[in-house]
Parts: sequence; C-alpha cells; structure tokens
Amino acid sequence: MSPALGRTGRIVTLLLVATGFAYPVAAFAVVGLRRDDGTGPTGLALRNAWDSWQTVLRFNDGVVLSWLGNSLIVATGGALVAVAVGIPAGYALARLRFPGRRLLRFCTLLTMVVPNTVLVIPLYLEVSAVGAVNNIWVVALLMGFHPFGVYLTYIHFRTTLPAPVLEAARIDGLSETDIFRRVALPASKPAVALVGFFSFVANWTNFFLPLVLLPLSSSTTISVGLPQLVSSSPLFDPTNAAGLDVRLYAPQLAVATLVTVAPVLAVFVIAQRALTRGQMLGATR
Amino acid sequence: MTTYRSIQTEPWTPRHQVHPQPVPARKVRRTGKTGRAVRTGRRAAAVLVLPYVALLLVGGLVPAGYAVVKSLQNESETGFGGISSYQRVVSDLRFAETFGNVALTLLIWLPLMLIGVVGLALLVDASPGRFGTTMRFIYYLPGALAGVANFMLWLFLLDPGQSPIAFLWHGFGYGTLNEVAQPGNLPYILAAMLFFQGAGTWVVVLSGGLHSIPDHVLEAARIDGAGAWDTAWRVKLPMIRPWLGYLTLLNLAYGFQLFLEPQVLSQVTHGLIAPQWTPNQLGFSYAYQILDTPMAAAMSVILLAITLGVGLLVVRRSGLFDDGR
Repeated sequence: MSPALGRTGRIVTLLLVATGFAYPVAAFAVVGLRRDDGTGPTGLALRNAWDSWQTVLRFNDGVVLSWLGNSLIVATGGALVAVAVGIPAGYALARLRFPGRRLLRFCTLLTMVVPNTVLVIPLYLEVSAVGAVNNIWVVALLMGFHPFGVYLTYIHFRTTLPAPVLEAARIDGLSETDIFRRVALPASKPAVALVGFFSFVANWTNFFLPLVLLPLSSSTTISVGLPQLVSSSPLFDPTNAAGLDVRLYAPQLAVATLVTVAPVLAVFVIAQRALTRGQMLGATR
Repeated sequence: MTTYRSIQTEPWTPRHQVHPQPVPARKVRRTGKTGRAVRTGRRAAAVLVLPYVALLLVGGLVPAGYAVVKSLQNESETGFGGISSYQRVVSDLRFAETFGNVALTLLIWLPLMLIGVVGLALLVDASPGRFGTTMRFIYYLPGALAGVANFMLWLFLLDPGQSPIAFLWHGFGYGTLNEVAQPGNLPYILAAMLFFQGAGTWVVVLSGGLHSIPDHVLEAARIDGAGAWDTAWRVKLPMIRPWLGYLTLLNLAYGFQLFLEPQVLSQVTHGLIAPQWTPNQLGFSYAYQILDTPMAAAMSVILLAITLGVGLLVVRRSGLFDDGR
C-alpha cells in the first residue's frame, strides 16, 4: 500500500466515522428547533424551541421542574459528599500507612470496576428494610459513595505530591492532620474538580437508583421522568395521549432532552480546565 | 500540573537529600522505635478514612451482604430457606432467556467495540495536529449525552417516521418504530447504542496509552524500516495490550447489568420488547412486581458473583492497578 493511498484512506475513514457520530447529534438538536402540533415537524427557529419548552412545562402542572430540582439535589448533594468523603480517603490511601490500607484499596478498586447498577436491588432491599424509600436525601447520600473518585484522588496525590514533601513536613513537626489540611488540601483542587465532575455526571444520569428508590412520579428525577414524557406522547401511545391536554411531539421531547443535558455541559465547562490538563488520562492510566 | 509540581516540590528537595527515605511502616512497627508517631499517624488516617469506610459499608458491602442473607430466606421470608430462592430463579424460564439476550448482545457489541475503538485510536494517533484532536473530540461528543439522553436520541433515530437515517430503515423494509425495534433486532440496536455512547471515551483513553509510547521506540521502528501499518500492528498494538484486556473485561461486566435501554424501549413500544429482557430487569420485576424479595436478592447475588468475578480479573490481572504496594 503506497503511503499516499494510506494517508487518504486514513483521513477519509476518520471523517466518515466523525460524520456518523456528529450527524445524529446535530440532527437531534435541529429537531428541537422545529414546530409540531401533531401534523409533522415544520419550520426552523429558536422561537419554536421556546414554545416547545412552554408546552413541556405544562405537562402535569410543571412536574418537569420538580424532576429537574430533584436531579439537582441528588446530583449536587451526591457530588458534595463524594468530594468531602473521597478527597481525605484518597489522600490517606495514597500517602498514609495504616492497618487495612491494602484491603480498603482493594475494595475501592473492586467496587469501582463492578457496574453500580448491580448493587441497585440490594440497595433497595437495604433501604426498604429501614423504611427510607422515597427519601431524596438517602439517595443523595448513597450517590456520594463514589469509589472512582477515591481512586482519582489516590492517583492525584501519588503523582503530584511526592513522599519527600510529606516527609519534610513531618520532620518540621506538623501532625498528620495538619499535613492534610495545610499541604495536601491546598494541592487538591484538580482532584476536587475531577471528582466533582465525574460524580455529578454519574448522579445526574443515574436512572436505575432513582427509579427504585424514588418511585413516586412527582418526587423522582429527570432521568426517570424523561421516559414518562415519551410514553405519554401521541407518537408512542396515540390512544392514551388522545385524552391528555398536553401533547408532546418530537420537537418537545427533543427540547426536554436538551434541557436535561445542559447541566452536564455546564459542569463540564466549569471543570474543563482540570479535565483538559491531561489529568483525566493520567488518572485513568 | 507541571507548573504546580515544580513550585511545590523544589524547595523541599534539598531536605529530602539530607534525610533518607522513610522506613517502611511495617518495620517500624516491629522494632517499636517510633511507636507513638505511628499511633498518631494511624489516628489521623482513621479520621480521614472513616467517613469513606462508612459509605463503603452502607453503599456497597452491607447491601451486598444483606442480599446474600435475604436470598437464603424462604419464600414467605419467615425463616431459613436454603437455596430455594435460587432454585425458583433458575427454574424461571426467563432466567436463561435473559442471559441468552445478554450473551447475544455482548457477542455483537464486544468485537465491535474492540475493533472499532482500537482502529479509531490508531488512526487518530497516526494523525498529528489539530485534525486528530478534532476527530477525537467529535467521537467523544455523544458521550456527553449519557444515559436517558442518549436513549432519547436513539429513539428518534430508530423511528422511521422521524429519523434522519429513515432511508436505512426503509431499505430494510421497516415503516414503524415497532418494526425496527422488534425483539430480534434488539441485540444489534443495543450494540450500536452502546458503541455510539461509549466508543469516544475509550478512544480518548487508548490515545493516552498510545501517546505514552516513548518516541525513541517509534524512531527505532522507523529506522528498522517499519511503515505506518507495521508500526501500528507490531509496535503500538502490543504496547497498549493491557488496556485492551481492561476494555474487554469492563465492558463484559457492563453487559450483565444492562437495564436502562431495554427497560425504556419496552415501555415505549408497549411490551413489544419483553419487560424482562435482561437479568437486571428480571431482578427488578421480582422486587417490584412479583414482590418475592428472596428471589430478587438471589438474582442480585448471581449478578454480583459474575461481575465481581470479572472485576477481580480486572484488578488482579490487567496490571493497570499495580503500583507495587
């Protein structure tokens, strides 16, 4: 194979695949700009997206807003817990020696690579045994268990805070807690951004856990709520939807989805400086 | 990162040269010389680690243990039932069916993922400069539409009445969503969905691995007369092999927990797809519809055993988590 032919083949392949990835996303965003009152999508304007959003808001007296609010509570609450609990733990695992350290590291790695949905039914059994189903704070707390965040922090402190630095601080007479507060914490900003970002996104998009722990339609999160919008759309259930006063067609569903993605993008923008500094690669490597 | 590292470490370096490396704690404990320091160190470690240990228990170990206990109860949950709940689960006709569905999906998805991701990562790696990074970013883009959002996008793609790829569905002779999303097609649809959502992240990860191959290795290959193809196949691929094992195993474990996509698809197609298409969905129906808690627990334990087994392989064998300590 001649080099020129190989080069062309490589570029064409990459571009074709890129089209395959980008085209559906772009087409979906365009649907959000269309108008549809049951006769098929027409037009293309920002104004349409706004109108569609107003329609979505009228669904079940604005239940979408409650869903978004609940998502915000569990995603933010879970991320705060994950950071507050994970940063000290990751630091201790990386730089302190204590009995059970290897076991804790092992448990962290294991719970990290096991898909978290496998634990959802056991969590449901546990939570219902203590009668805490439908408690949004319990969900936030459980989402705060984020072994991947502990692992990220562990890697962060292993790669950026050399043991000699800590040894020197020890010789200077700082206690271990002081070292964490005054040496490690100020150096943990990238880890905080990473853990906060990954945890927030995982919590925001979590579907199974809120589905079983927040079963009431009004008190659940947006990821459980979106499919409810779909199933009451005339597109997928004409007989049932005929009785509803709010009719959601493809543009309305697309706008609802795009609104749902917005917070993830916002958090990405906030955290991106830490994310694009190669930290993510270094951390997962 | 580098700027910060240099600021933090340089002033300390001379001291480090004066004082030798710290003695490993295990030895300290044996000789008992600095017993007090070790004790206060331990207390600090306990303070830092305890909240996490509590969450690890409440969010991981206790529910897993509780599921094991529950699964050993009898049907009326009044006493010990031995393995009767497991027998009920295994004799459920849907049990084997759900695992068959997962196996079929994995059979299509894993090779697609492995070949697709490795191919794309190698091609991106061979494209220096802005073109390569732009392509990598575009592949990563659908990953932002995680979970339900990705599902919504696919719903729109799969519905011949809405889809921008409707020509494809018409080519297959499908005119409605229910024809496209018929049970026989589901493994393919899921494989495509999961690839679309996850491939970009893995391309980024593998690119990182490829990027860390030292220049002199590639230079040596070039001097030995290796072309782009030979370099990719004989030099780059072997060097990212641990990653490929990691990718395969993690995605294998992921396959067993599939829930969201078939669940919502079943909801949307009004039962055209069985609501218990995957093992996790079956467990969900035991807990929420049949209300047989021991059965739900038994199903969870089976899934946990499988995914923990795969997880152990990842942690122990892939070599990515070894740091010698």
